[in-house]
Amino acid sequence: MNKDLLSGVVLMAVAGTYYAWSTQIADSTLSDEIGAGGLPQVLAIILAILGFCLAGRALLSMKLNSATVNEAKDDDDEEDRNAPFPRAVGFLLFGAAYVLLLPLIGYVIATALLIAAIAIYEGAPRTWVVPAAAIGGGVLYWAIFVKLLGVNQPVGSLFQGLFS
Amino acid sequence: MSTFADIIHLLTETPIFFVAIIGLTWGILGGALPGISASITMALVLPFTYTMDPAQAIALLACVYIGAEYGGSIPAILIRTPGTNSSAATVIDGYEMNRQGRAGEALGISLMSGVVGSLFGLAMLILLTEPLSWLALAFTPASYFGLGILGLSVISSMSSGSLLKGLAAAVVGLMISTVGTDPISGVTRFTFDIPDLLGGIEPVLVMVGLFALTELMSQSGSLNTLKLNASIRIKLPSLALMNKLKRSQFIGCILGLFEGLTPGGGGSIAAFMSYNEARRWSKTPQLFGKGSEEGVAAPETANNTVASTAMIPLLSFGIPSSNSTAVLLGGLLMHGLIPGPRLFEQSAQVIDSIYVGSFIAIIAQIGIGILILPACIWLVNRPRYYRSGFIFALILSGIYTLNNSTFDLGIALMLGLVGYLMRMTRFPVLPMILGVVLGHMVESSYRRSLVLSGGDLRIFLEDPISLGLLSLAFIFIFFSLVREFREARKAKLKEVHS
Repeated sequence: MNKDLLSGVVLMAVAGTYYAWSTQIADSTLSDEIGAGGLPQVLAIILAILGFCLAGRALLSMKLNSATVNEAKDDDDEEDRNAPFPRAVGFLLFGAAYVLLLPLIGYVIATALLIAAIAIYEGAPRTWVVPAAAIGGGVLYWAIFVKLLGVNQPVGSLFQGLFS
Repeated sequence: MSTFADIIHLLTETPIFFVAIIGLTWGILGGALPGISASITMALVLPFTYTMDPAQAIALLACVYIGAEYGGSIPAILIRTPGTNSSAATVIDGYEMNRQGRAGEALGISLMSGVVGSLFGLAMLILLTEPLSWLALAFTPASYFGLGILGLSVISSMSSGSLLKGLAAAVVGLMISTVGTDPISGVTRFTFDIPDLLGGIEPVLVMVGLFALTELMSQSGSLNTLKLNASIRIKLPSLALMNKLKRSQFIGCILGLFEGLTPGGGGSIAAFMSYNEARRWSKTPQLFGKGSEEGVAAPETANNTVASTAMIPLLSFGIPSSNSTAVLLGGLLMHGLIPGPRLFEQSAQVIDSIYVGSFIAIIAQIGIGILILPACIWLVNRPRYYRSGFIFALILSGIYTLNNSTFDLGIALMLGLVGYLMRMTRFPVLPMILGVVLGHMVESSYRRSLVLSGGDLRIFLEDPISLGLLSLAFIFIFFSLVREFREARKAKLKEVHS
């Protein structure tokens, strides 16, 4: 499916879902004439119209086989400059794992693991440098954030007391 | 600006000097890293400003911006890879000078031209911002609504990609801004009983997610082929050479001023325009592209001028004209500072800090620029796989700092994914960020106007400023549509002919 067509459909779906949610916003005696749900409903309608126009334009272009062909080529060029979707999502999943592990194993270890995991994922040779850089990074950031800036980063329920 | 005494007080009583130096240093280091633009460098530091004094925080961001514009020229000259988009024009003659063994000279010209451009830009910022903001004192809620709509329309229509996509991104941004507690009635919206959403989604999360995380995701798996010569040192230009460069620097200043004031203009356009104009007016145009000093001076003066002049529409009217000024706007809002004329009325110290901090950063740039070059080269020469890990950890650590919440981390990661998908489908991210940033102002102004008028929509047409701004917004959208139709027709004709 053409990317613009897909984008248009997704925008309409987002608009529909958002509109449905906006109708569930509670009324308030403090509310003005527009109400808390007024603007969201207007935005949902505008987004649906924009999505419809985008999808319609994509369909029309596909039919005429003109401007969108060029645009599709451009899209591919753009895509070439970006990491493939699975690779990019894989990168993000390390961040998700960090979020899950942070309260459990604490800031220093979670940060060190994140640095090591990303380095290996991005192609670092599996030598002693990886754990050394990871541990160094974890300790460095702990020193900056916890000691220097006074931020209460999680100690970790498994290692309570070790880095506090 | 308030009084001279206030500035002296700022210099002596608060650590503005240190803030400026830290911001400048961070900016140069960030700007020197290819792929890390000025806006990303600013977005990375944004969470750290959360607990700072507002005046210092905004000054820090402004100084990061100044530093990043210079930092971008380092890899542009040394490895033909612009550190920031706006240093792309510097590659042409800067790298050629490097090939001729004149890298130190090219870096010196870039540094000093940057200082000239930044000083000119700062002078214009000081001279123009406050008089322009007086205009905005006449603003009513309806005017503010018009201003918000104009800002969103201009950025949507000037952003890369189609107008439809720009507008859709802006609307999605406005939708994100509605999450949380309704500004008028206090009713919760789209919170799904999650306490972390009661305060809404902070613009800083959107900026870090869409700028920084998206960039890291997009770069994932790319090869690391950068290698800088560690022995290079900056050679400052002589007075005679500076005299020779004054014409191209003047061109850079003027075009930088013009582009800084133009929404969507930005440093890249200013730099390329200055390069072309400098060649046109040069006594030795044949040297351009072959290692011309003027070919480095003009674009570097222009993009550094823009770093200051782009703040004029931001501080005067609350309208950011580029990614970097959008981050600066996010910083202002994060500290509860209302952009536009109210900033001058209620928070004059913030304005003074920007001016003083910028001035210190510009002057210090000469010394710091020379001292920090080896560190920049060391940083750029680190393998990308370690750099990515460290930057990712820095981003996540910074976000956690905001509210000590892992929920914020989840939101930022999701927005990183959204940004990546937007990049893949060629949706511009700036309108979305502006939607989030301006959403509160647009909604509350709209609703307050209708409360004042008893629900009569004609208030937006009866208020002359609102009418003027909304008409301008309409004109921008109309001409963008016309441009798109023309381009589509041209593409069709081209295809028919081929």
